[in-house]
Amino acid sequence: MLKKLTNRWEGYLFVLPAVIFMLALIGYPLIYNIILSFQNVDLANLASGNKSFVGLENYKELLSQGVFGTSVINTIVYTVGSVVFQIAIGFFLAVFFSMKFRFAPFLRGIMMISWLIPLTITALLFKFMMGANEGIFNQFLMTWGIIEDPIAWLSSPKIALWSIIIANIWVGIPFNMLLLSTGLSSLPEDVYESASLDGANWFHKLIHITIPLLKPVLLVVMMLGFIYTFKVFDLVFVMTGGGPINSTEVLSTLAYRYSFNEFQFSLGAAAANVLFLILFVVSLIYLSMIRKDEVN
Amino acid sequence: MSKKREWTLNIIGTFIVLLFLFPVYWMIITAFKTQSEIFQSPPTLWPKDFRIQSFIQIFQDNVWQYFLNSLAISGLATILVLILAVPSAYGLARFNVRGKKMMILLFLVTQMLPATVVLTPLFIVFDQFSLLNSYWGPVLSCATLGVPFSVLILRTFFIGIPRELEEAAKIDGCGRFKAFIQVIIPVSLPSIVVCGAISFFFSWGDLIFSMTFNRNQDLWPLTAGIYNAIGRYGIEWNTLMAFATISVLPVIIIFILLQKHLVKGLVSGSVK
Repeated sequence: MLKKLTNRWEGYLFVLPAVIFMLALIGYPLIYNIILSFQNVDLANLASGNKSFVGLENYKELLSQGVFGTSVINTIVYTVGSVVFQIAIGFFLAVFFSMKFRFAPFLRGIMMISWLIPLTITALLFKFMMGANEGIFNQFLMTWGIIEDPIAWLSSPKIALWSIIIANIWVGIPFNMLLLSTGLSSLPEDVYESASLDGANWFHKLIHITIPLLKPVLLVVMMLGFIYTFKVFDLVFVMTGGGPINSTEVLSTLAYRYSFNEFQFSLGAAAANVLFLILFVVSLIYLSMIRKDEVN
Repeated sequence: MSKKREWTLNIIGTFIVLLFLFPVYWMIITAFKTQSEIFQSPPTLWPKDFRIQSFIQIFQDNVWQYFLNSLAISGLATILVLILAVPSAYGLARFNVRGKKMMILLFLVTQMLPATVVLTPLFIVFDQFSLLNSYWGPVLSCATLGVPFSVLILRTFFIGIPRELEEAAKIDGCGRFKAFIQVIIPVSLPSIVVCGAISFFFSWGDLIFSMTFNRNQDLWPLTAGIYNAIGRYGIEWNTLMAFATISVLPVIIIFILLQKHLVKGLVSGSVK
């Protein structure tokens, strides 16, 4: 009995520092952000502490701004567009590199470089490649006769969001491929062997065995992709800054703009909380999916 | 597999990777071009006029300072992550502490939160504690990215270490803590290094925390420096790409050194 007690006491010494750190730097700010969104805090009264409680005023103001609706829709389009293509391309590359040839593990690994590069740099690089005249994208497309006039990748309100999505797909492909490769390698081989005996070809096996068996993994990868993509900041911030005419404004850049360009901290907090609420719901669904094997 | 098929696959695979990594090649090669060559059509895949002028210019423009700041912020954040995460992961793997499930859940959830949500409150809190315009704002906030990730990876790893290892040490007269330091840490060093490297990458890539918490440009890391340089250099793409190349170099070097372990760690840390 006594031994058990000391054991537990010792355990807290190991566990608690990190827990307290995360509660102080993430938990507390999270709650503070909710309070902030019900107050009226700007640069003038930030230091004085004279912060009046205004109820739902900030949220009402947020909803009355046309750019809010635009940024919600942009965030959803950005996320769904990115995740669908990242998984589709990642899946086919995972299938390709799961064929056992000599360089496969090395080649698959080296692709991770796109994921490692700081997003600020990736954003700048794509901004360069998507330049209307000097950009390599237009140069290639025009040399090959695919387009006649240069595409205004980042300066056309109709195209800009998709240009950022293209950059983000590039960033995310190797990570999705890696997760899906792990899923593929855990599939039972005997099913494939018996399918081969029945005369199934490569394509049949893909449609009737691989994809159905991989469904749980695909679902997890999809949820994770959604969660990580939905909070996009750097790529948008550096490539377009939300423009042209708000056509690439997403929830996180909107929240940042309110707080740190216009110094309307409470409005920024309200916008961030909308982002948080959506992510929180999705995270709960994700956690309930993986919980069985994780928390025990 | 027949030899011919194996070779075909190797060649197709190499081709896919080269195509995929073309943007990285384009970044590096542009840094060595002259300004007029960049605007030339059709584009040259290899510089006709190979110049290192862009690199000289950014070093004259104090890129060293940004580089050292990045190293300091990422290095300190990584050390902080390891000091907090390694014992915590061990505790959650070995002890029956109350609220264990909640704590694991806390780490899982905090990993998924966007920086934007905590940014404004942290700015206000750091302001109150006079932590703005110092290394501490970015270091503390960057560490919140690595801690949950590392705890979750390392916990899984520690569970896999047989308990007999510490028990043997205990018989030799070691206390719990001493056994942890002298037995567990050495055994799990590869995993700890992987967690450290990944935490380093997280901090190295940070823009939002550093930019928001530091108005003092002398403390900016490379990411904030390059964001600022976009305005300064305008369309001098060779200079900007030289800046970008310098910023990417350390992560690529670490990645190449640790490639095999990193890939494994990333998988186990993300899916779990």
